[in-house]
Amino acid sequence: MKRIFSVLLVVVMIVSVAFTGCGKATTEEPANTAASSDTSAPVAEASSATEPVAAPAVTDDSSVKVLNLWSFTDEVPKMVDKYKAAHPDFPYEVKTTIIATTDGAYQPALDQALAAGGASAPDIYTAESAFVLKYTQGDAYKYAAAYKDLGIDVDNALKAAEIAPYVSDIGTNPDGNLIGLAYQATGGAYIYRRSIAKAVWGTDDPAVIKDKVGPGWDKFFAAAAELKAKGFGIVSGDGDIWHSIENSSPKGWIVDGKLYIDPLREQFLDLSKKLKDGGYYNDTQDWTDAWYADMKDAGKQKILGFFGPAWLINYVMAGNSGGDKPGVGTYGDWAICEPTVGFSWGGTWVLANKDSKIKKTVGDIINWITLDTSDTGLQYMWANGTFSIPEGKTVGTKDTVASGTVMKKSDGKLDFLGGQNMFDVFVPAGATATGKNKTQYDESINSLWRDQVREYTAGKKSRDQAIADFKQQVADNLGVAIN
Amino acid sequence: MRRRSVSYAKYGYIFSIPFVLAFIIFSFYPIIYTAVIGFTDLKGLTKTDFKFLDNPFQNFELILHNPSFITSLSNTAMIWIINFIPQILLALLLAAWFTNHRHHIKGQGAFKVLFYMPNIITAATIAILFSSLFGYPMGPMNDLFKTFGLSQESVNFLLQKWTARGVISFIQFWTWYGYTMLIFISGVLGINPELYEAAEMDGATSSQTFFRITLPSLRTIMLYMLVTSLIGGLQMFDIPKLFIPNQGPSNATLTTTVFIYNQAFSGSYMYNRAAAASMILFLIITTLSGVLFFIMRDKQAAKLRKQEKNRVKEFNKANRISARRAEV
Repeated sequence: MKRIFSVLLVVVMIVSVAFTGCGKATTEEPANTAASSDTSAPVAEASSATEPVAAPAVTDDSSVKVLNLWSFTDEVPKMVDKYKAAHPDFPYEVKTTIIATTDGAYQPALDQALAAGGASAPDIYTAESAFVLKYTQGDAYKYAAAYKDLGIDVDNALKAAEIAPYVSDIGTNPDGNLIGLAYQATGGAYIYRRSIAKAVWGTDDPAVIKDKVGPGWDKFFAAAAELKAKGFGIVSGDGDIWHSIENSSPKGWIVDGKLYIDPLREQFLDLSKKLKDGGYYNDTQDWTDAWYADMKDAGKQKILGFFGPAWLINYVMAGNSGGDKPGVGTYGDWAICEPTVGFSWGGTWVLANKDSKIKKTVGDIINWITLDTSDTGLQYMWANGTFSIPEGKTVGTKDTVASGTVMKKSDGKLDFLGGQNMFDVFVPAGATATGKNKTQYDESINSLWRDQVREYTAGKKSRDQAIADFKQQVADNLGVAIN
Repeated sequence: MRRRSVSYAKYGYIFSIPFVLAFIIFSFYPIIYTAVIGFTDLKGLTKTDFKFLDNPFQNFELILHNPSFITSLSNTAMIWIINFIPQILLALLLAAWFTNHRHHIKGQGAFKVLFYMPNIITAATIAILFSSLFGYPMGPMNDLFKTFGLSQESVNFLLQKWTARGVISFIQFWTWYGYTMLIFISGVLGINPELYEAAEMDGATSSQTFFRITLPSLRTIMLYMLVTSLIGGLQMFDIPKLFIPNQGPSNATLTTTVFIYNQAFSGSYMYNRAAAASMILFLIITTLSGVLFFIMRDKQAAKLRKQEKNRVKEFNKANRISARRAEV
């Protein structure tokens, strides 16, 4: 424990010396840019670099041999590997740093790496929707390069790819430049069990089920009561409804620099209590063993469904369904329909370091991941399950992507969903997604809020006490004004 | 002829340079830096320049009036005391058994290794292990409770303040008693064996030898244990931070260092306040260590020193008097 504390001290020191490193990198850049170019004549470049031009040619520094990549999962690193494999002349060694977001470990580490600068600073880094605003509009946005400075024709490419507006809204910095884009679209659906729906309502047709579980929480709880009567739960834990409440509320946690509890978010206390009192759920917490267990009927009571975007199906539920082909475990016994309230959840934004010396390559990779709509572009492969095909299968996992152009020519039929084309539900769901209710504190504030709600529903404290304690904790830990 | 003497002192200085350099860069500078920024407005991720506040103690005042900080201090104290008292007692007992001259315990080495083992596992691993043991609604502890009929429904252990604190104390106890025991054993082995032989000759019982010889002779080791454990305990960070990701039910497991971490790294980057809190913690640790040193001081020796001083004084006085007499 002493060691960790001294590490903290060191970290504080690194921050203090950080600006020296950054300053150096920027001053060296013009000379390096001029010295190496693989597109046009070096002489012409040297002169153009000194005068302000509208679109400066983007080049790589040939002395750099390493591309540093930071991410919180292996998803983007795998994409870069794929890119490297498709480009045999790719000259860089890719150095990948993956730090999971659990316990908030990724952000402090990334912050230090960005602040410290130098040769090992990330060239490309990623940010999850829970904290992307910090890197695109909050304290850390100044580290990111505008896409246009990477040689990407932003305006035309955005239009051609029909990128969902919330994706580019979130990725636009306060100066009006686009600095980050996501490759996924993360509009959510209600993902439910066909067999349970049949047992309770006699049908598993999404058109019928969507009217049972919504729209609105009143219908949702009416359905929950019907399910309970037959011995089923409607969701696994309160986290399942939280994600749809959080992302459907019009305002975020901070309004005008003060803590703001949106009425919809405050209502989560009551909805959560209702779930608990009615026994409509198994009282699990998302991302714990008990939550996964409910995906394969290993919980106390069987659960009708989960709220989530396409990635939840592919990366979480399929692997935890207890099977890998229809008929085994719960695999194939699922379907999706419109959620109770429209929401989006998650997504990974890709950013580039403004001090990167290999901007051309970085730009090419980012363009391929976020804006390329061709059949060899990342998004097409990602949507159609051809990005990585597991052994013995003909198709890999499919996902909804940010580009509307790609979605139109893609096919979202999944065995896991009993052959249902998931894009029919997920593509319209993307329209309800918004970037306006996020703040850079979301990860911290959300977990404080959910802890208080959990204590309230468990009967450990009153509703008012829970809200008061929540406010106090936000004020104490984040220094955010509460009144 | 002049003899040339060789001074070896300079080699000592040369060999200590790496340590001194590393210490200055990685420990001393950060400490000074932390002390300084506590008085400034350094806040925010991308900021590196700072100016001193008009009221230099503003951060300290804010921290001292922060209810969570006060809670975190009392939590830290409680968790430390609950873990430390049984830890010292058990370690002493084991040390006494292992060093007993009369009944030589077999397989001592194996036991020592086993007791020390928990200390080798990283704290993060243990914290995550325990948090899945106490998982809710499904987990080994809940299964156990149901099997033995202690409860029908699943119990959310980590929503109970004292269970949460107790488990953290237990983890600290379990990982550190082996270490404490080893230190005590080495302390006991350093005691002059003639004392034990003499005691045996005089027919002292095991408990008499323990309380009259072992314990008093262990005083310096005990002081060392108390002070290092106090410092470690007040800086408890990894287990509380990882065992329950936030700060437990109603801040029940928020320790001071977790609080400091939250100030600096949970979203607002209030480096200045974190630094102020660190300095307050530093002062608390220094004061408490001073108190321990005072309580554990060698009273006998202090008395002797005093007596000696008085004797010298008397002697001088007597001398002066006799000298004066001689003059007269």
